[in-house]
Amino acid sequence: MGVGGANFYARDPATVFLTEDRDLFLPLDPDNLVRCWAACEAAGLDLWIADEPLDIPRDRWLAERIVERRALTRATGTGELLVDLSLVMKGFDFETVWSDRRTFIVDGVDIPVARLLHIVTSKHAAGRDKDRLFLATHKEALEGLLKREDVD
Amino acid sequence: MGPTLEDGLRALREAAEQAPSIRIDLDDAYLRAIALLEALPCNQSGADKSWVWRSDRAFRETYRRARLKR
Repeated sequence: MGVGGANFYARDPATVFLTEDRDLFLPLDPDNLVRCWAACEAAGLDLWIADEPLDIPRDRWLAERIVERRALTRATGTGELLVDLSLVMKGFDFETVWSDRRTFIVDGVDIPVARLLHIVTSKHAAGRDKDRLFLATHKEALEGLLKREDVD
Repeated sequence: MGPTLEDGLRALREAAEQAPSIRIDLDDAYLRAIALLEALPCNQSGADKSWVWRSDRAFRETYRRARLKR
């Protein structure tokens, strides 16, 4: 649901944005969070919270505390793989984003992706410097697309 | 003389300083562009987007392998 999500709507590699991390938007469901952590561990990923290894045991009690605080946990892997397990998407609840999702396919795997409108609106609402820089660049890229569409 | 490391760092500093002043409105033109993009056949559920990740991977790999020549 971040820049990585917006990239799925790009028309060509020239309008793909580089992003350091990938954002996974999760529901406020401790059991689901426990399953997500377990899946990350099974895939050999390390789990972090605020630059510290996530406490063990990674059980329902811990997940409830994380959900209460809407805290972000992060999964990292070999190379540069970095996945933020986020419980917050500014301006949206999970159910709205999930019900309007699109499912794209990458190497045969289904990837649920938030609507581009939701991604952009959320970034606009968050208003961090990096969001503003993204929106400025993204808007310019879309204006270029519109001009091309007019020509085509 | 070509650009130096300090030139590059200065450009990054200037970009960072400008970021807080950037104001992007979700105006009609921007929303129209988003709607157009979302409506494309290639952006409907079921579309194969493997190329997006391949592109991202290739981009990172290019810069990972880059070495300073002099």
